[in-house]
Amino acid sequence: MNTPPHDAIPPSGESPEPPGSAGVARLRPPLRRVSGRAIGVWTLRLLFGAVFNLVVLSLIAWAAGSAPWGWIPDRVSENAWMLPVAYSVYALAKIAIVPSWRYRVHRWEVGDDVIYTRVGWISRAWQLVPVNRLQTVDHTQGWLERIFDVATLKVQTASYAGSSTIEGLDSEEARRLSEELAVRAGTLRDDAT
Amino acid sequence: MDREHGQHEPDPDRSGPAASEPDAPGDGGAGGWVAPGSTPSGALPEPHTGQWSPPASEPGPGTAPRAPQGRPPHPGHHVPPDGGDRAQGQPSTEGQPRSWWGEDSGGAHAPVVGFGEESAHQLSPRSMVVGPINQLRSLLLPVLAGLVVGGFNPWLLTATGLGVVALLIGGLVTWKTFRYEVGEERIEIRKGLIRRSRRTIPLERVRGVDVTSTLLHRMLGVAVVRIEAAAGSVGDTEDGKLDAVSAEEAERLRRVLLHRKAVLTERGTPQGQGVREERDTGEGEDVRDGGGPGGSGTSGPEGRDGAGSPLPAGAVPTAAQDTDGADDTVTHFTMPGSWYLYGALSIGYLLTPFVVLATLFGMVQQSAGEMATDFFVDWVTTADRAFLVLFGTVSVAVLVLLMPVFAVVSYALTHWGFSLRDRDGSLVAERGLFTRRSVTLEKRRIRGYELLDNPLERTRGAVGLRAIVTGLGDAATRAVLLPVGPRSRVEPVVDRALALFRGPLTRHPRAALYRRLIRSVLPFAGVAAAAAVLDVTWLAVVAGILALLGVPLGVDRYRSLGHGYDGERVSVRSGSLSRSQATVERSAVIGWTWTQTLFQRRSSLADLQVTVGAGKGGYTAMDASLDESVDFAARITPEMVRPFLATDEDGRDRDGDRA
Repeated sequence: MNTPPHDAIPPSGESPEPPGSAGVARLRPPLRRVSGRAIGVWTLRLLFGAVFNLVVLSLIAWAAGSAPWGWIPDRVSENAWMLPVAYSVYALAKIAIVPSWRYRVHRWEVGDDVIYTRVGWISRAWQLVPVNRLQTVDHTQGWLERIFDVATLKVQTASYAGSSTIEGLDSEEARRLSEELAVRAGTLRDDAT
Repeated sequence: MDREHGQHEPDPDRSGPAASEPDAPGDGGAGGWVAPGSTPSGALPEPHTGQWSPPASEPGPGTAPRAPQGRPPHPGHHVPPDGGDRAQGQPSTEGQPRSWWGEDSGGAHAPVVGFGEESAHQLSPRSMVVGPINQLRSLLLPVLAGLVVGGFNPWLLTATGLGVVALLIGGLVTWKTFRYEVGEERIEIRKGLIRRSRRTIPLERVRGVDVTSTLLHRMLGVAVVRIEAAAGSVGDTEDGKLDAVSAEEAERLRRVLLHRKAVLTERGTPQGQGVREERDTGEGEDVRDGGGPGGSGTSGPEGRDGAGSPLPAGAVPTAAQDTDGADDTVTHFTMPGSWYLYGALSIGYLLTPFVVLATLFGMVQQSAGEMATDFFVDWVTTADRAFLVLFGTVSVAVLVLLMPVFAVVSYALTHWGFSLRDRDGSLVAERGLFTRRSVTLEKRRIRGYELLDNPLERTRGAVGLRAIVTGLGDAATRAVLLPVGPRSRVEPVVDRALALFRGPLTRHPRAALYRRLIRSVLPFAGVAAAAAVLDVTWLAVVAGILALLGVPLGVDRYRSLGHGYDGERVSVRSGSLSRSQATVERSAVIGWTWTQTLFQRRSSLADLQVTVGAGKGGYTAMDASLDESVDFAARITPEMVRPFLATDEDGRDRDGDRA
């Protein structure tokens, strides 16, 4: 479903003066959240990654514990089982916390001429990408994303550092947005560097 | 360049697809004779019907072997001295060079040919040799080692021989199948025998033309031309590379491409009389010598500017770059002799003796293998101890003393005759003694510049200059605009060639200092502590020293942090061991990114990255105050940032929603 800007800041303060010459200003968070189903995607993605790592670690632990390799100190081989266990605890915690945390951080907004995004969870990044500098707009959907009917929108500029990715958009919205951006970029475009 | 066309013009059989063969030796200068535009592959098998076929006619395939034979004398005699001769390719003999010169004047009238239609060119036939030799060179050591280890057994020898032959054939095939064509609006490069490829680069998208020639290239009078194109997608730096055309052709291409491009983009430079003042350093001259005749071709084949100035015949043999009447060559800089000394301040160059030693050692070990090692060990164990110590100290001392010398020498080799010129709306930087490289950067594509220095250079107030250019791969070497020199001399050049950033840099908050210190000290302190616990004394000592050294490093890193805006340009600075201050035009800013880690959040710092569609893609003001940096960005690009600024009340609840 399309996520309305349910927690949107009312656009009343549309042209806020920068807090003066005091040399201090704040960015407000972007207006819109990504689709709530993105949490599912992130969770599953983390889960799959964790399962894969766990299998690898278990194999290693098993090998270290049972294979007759002399060079592994006893202390290590006896406690090798702790490795996968510790990892599962870590992974479970991460799976429980990260997706919803991320959901709270991830926001986006397409202003008149600028795409404004905020991503991250522990660390965050705020990014401003002017629409007239867009070079490509990619709309991608992995299989996992297809299941949840969300999509990733990637906008690229002439600078790799200026590429912005919005994950977990509702797929309909993403498609609409990518078309709109492509059109706008086309009309606004100058040299784009 | 007309010259070229002119030259071919008269030739009746120029149409023959075949000319290829005979041309081999001679055409170099010609930059490839004109192949019928249409037929890349058609040209293949023909024996020469070509114009100036040298008397000795070889069968097609014969060429490859023969070319190499022709060559050896080449490198032998001349390197720089006889530019003209060499450029023509020596075997050519019969009047070819003359025809060049003669044609030169004649050429001016004939340009029309090239104008509307395209004509395909081949690479210089000498590229057939250069390519394989270059490939061989990288394989040389392994092959030699293999041969030595294998005891020169006949199988190996045969295999090696076959390999060499294969390379030569590869070279031949490449040459035979490679065609490029400069049209009105695009350049087209076709190549490949089995898998043919055709790359078309619209001339408006040409961002620069580089001409590089290694010593080998210059011995053969050829050069590599790389056509930098604005790639459609990010990171796609594919461009056109013409691996070895004759030096003249290289020069011609550069002019034609940039000129046409300028015309296409309606930026034709006003018909200024060339300033062409500077005497080049001897070096520059000499190098260009190869290109001399080529450059004299002045006008593009289209002859557009040919009318502007019939070139003085006298100009021909001298520096190519000056002869064109249509451009406006201004020399911003030529390397003063004393500047080579700054090489001694460059850490990279200071380490050269060690690198050389290591390489030598590696080579000895690879080729002589255990014998040398055994010998060395033997010698060490039997020699007198006191003598050994003395020997060791002396050699280390000598090495250390020699470091600056080596540094200066190797620095001089790469920066010899550095010159920066302004021509046709482009900056042309040229340098190098053996490998002469000339980089053309279109000014329109230059978004700013970087000033670079290291602590040693800072003690002498020296600084290097690099351009921030859109779509330039390998910028570390290619965007160098000036060698390291005193800031007082560099800045005026920047001001003339680009525009200097004038303004103070804002210091970053105190918290940034702590972060820098933690970064530079903590890891080593941690290692030292761990080593102390584990009782590894030497490691603890070393790490401890490094941790102590980290203090001044951290402080210096903090002191170099800064960002500023002078109304037109944005500048950010960071780094200590290699400090860089990047300055870009306001209009080049194509976005902003703030990143904030958990630790930065506690002291409300953030890294602000200025996104630029050029250079590294982004330049970061590390550990700036988040609030101040937002204001900074809002001052520079209000239209981009202001809509997203928080008014006072929601600025507060930002934290709430961050949860």
